[in-house]
Amino acid sequence: MTNSADVLVIGGGIIGLSCGYYLSKRGKRAFVLDKGGFADGASGACDDMILFQSKKPGINLELTFESLELYKSLLTEMEDDLGFANLGGMVLIENQQELEIMEEFVAQQRSYGLDVEVIDKREMLKKQPFLSDHIIASTYSKMDSQVDPFSVMRGFERKGALYGMKVFRRNGVVGIERLGTGDFQVATEDGNLYQAPIIVNAGGTWAGQIGTMVGANIPITPKRGQIIVTERVPPIGETNLWSAKYLVTKLRSDVVVDLNEDERTMGLSLAFSRSSGDTYLVGSTREFVGFDKNTTIGGIRAIINQTLKYLPKLRDINFIRAMAGLRPSTPDGKMLLGEHAGIEGFYTAAGHEGDGIALAPITGKLLASIVCQDQVDHRLDELSPNRFATD
Amino acid sequence: MTDDKDMFICRCEEVTLREIEQAIDEGFVTVKDVKRVTRAGMGLCQGRTCSKTIARIIAQRTGRPLEDVLPKSYRFPVRPEKMLAVENEEFNDAKNS
Ligand SMILES: Cc1cc2nc3c(=O)[nH]c(=O)nc-3n(C[C@H](O)[C@H](O)[C@H](O)COP(=O)(O)OP(=O)(O)OC[C@H]3O[C@@H](n4cnc5c(N)ncnc54)[C@H](O)[C@@H]3O)c2cc1C
Repeated sequence: MTNSADVLVIGGGIIGLSCGYYLSKRGKRAFVLDKGGFADGASGACDDMILFQSKKPGINLELTFESLELYKSLLTEMEDDLGFANLGGMVLIENQQELEIMEEFVAQQRSYGLDVEVIDKREMLKKQPFLSDHIIASTYSKMDSQVDPFSVMRGFERKGALYGMKVFRRNGVVGIERLGTGDFQVATEDGNLYQAPIIVNAGGTWAGQIGTMVGANIPITPKRGQIIVTERVPPIGETNLWSAKYLVTKLRSDVVVDLNEDERTMGLSLAFSRSSGDTYLVGSTREFVGFDKNTTIGGIRAIINQTLKYLPKLRDINFIRAMAGLRPSTPDGKMLLGEHAGIEGFYTAAGHEGDGIALAPITGKLLASIVCQDQVDHRLDELSPNRFATD
Repeated sequence: MTDDKDMFICRCEEVTLREIEQAIDEGFVTVKDVKRVTRAGMGLCQGRTCSKTIARIIAQRTGRPLEDVLPKSYRFPVRPEKMLAVENEEFNDAKNS
């Protein structure tokens, strides 16, 4: 049996579903093919943040602003609260060196239009009374927001269906061929065939494997993140939290940051957010272990020790679950978005690393706009997959 | 008035039979899929009470044999753990088995 569509989206994580949604809204008949079940990839094992504070001025920050606006309109379009919340966020600063670097970074972000500031210890403790005494200051931005990735994905799927989008799960793509007509023919594990003139590769961490099927070079690698989920608890302070340490190592490769064993070997840093289910999501690690998405005792223990270092009073709280996801990471920290030169009709929308939830709506909308050949947006040149074509 | 459909299948997260059937009708036909789209089994007991019931509802509604639908593995940790317990290393690999 062969199924024909206008566009085949390969990968039904939050990015593939967003692409499918915005394409079908533009009148394209879109099929989304996924090898797993609902949210089996990174989009089902991650935090939930639309985070501004971690971003350097540039395209990612700019797109996060646009994505937040799109999320606000999706709340109405989808007639669902999507677990959207705007609690604001604080980045915790532990020493003078971090303070200086964060002050400089915050100044850059402010000049770019982000509403963020450094606050002193007293202010900080007002917002977060349970923080450990060793933290000397923090940043604060009321912009940082969040959504429930599961609700967003289901929303894209439900509303997409009204525009004719179809999702085929447990249907892993194993081969792509170009037919005489110029259309692509895609074969899946269980022998189904699908045809369309356009393919969107939204394979997340696995996007490189899909690229190989058409000879495209896509240098996306998996960066594992482990997180734990607590039981339901009353609010712990007003905001979500991160530690500055990891950010500082990313911002300033020239300074020596004092890292402990877990921070060095597992890329551990604090991410602490209140979920729409009134639990807390606490992470996380950044590990290069290939495509292994298991949780480890060492990882869970490291996350808990770290949490208690920043929030010692949480010792009596239960954690009920641990999970791990593979962030699709790129060499320059930017996604791949656009058509591949020399492979007409083959587009990639992948490589969002730790920002795929935040950037999902804007990615889908821009991808649909590229596929529909709207006016060229030159800002997107730096996201073109062709920057890696010659590697 | 409440009827059967308003009955909570997952008491931790307060997910009703109606919501579960709706998810199945939308094509979510594994316990894991239903759990992720409805939050059933995501609460404190981590589905230890409702996973089997959900499997039965899926089997009934899709006409598949129950054995095919029953979840094969449980996620670690299998029961809630105090953060303190882990910090003190009372927590060991045996719990993962
Ligand atoms: C611990 C952790 C915390 C995070 N926190 C945040 C956060 O707070 N905010 C944020 O914005 N982002 C966060 N992220 C990042 C975010 O999860 C990812 O960027 C995002 O989920 C990527 O979405 P995706 O759709 O590209 O990938 P995925 O969700 O991985 O989807 C890819 C899909 O492709 C499918 N696939 C693969 N190969 C094939 C094939 N051959 N055929 C068919 N289908 C295939 C897979 O089954 C999968 O469903 C976090 C990630 C982790 C791991």
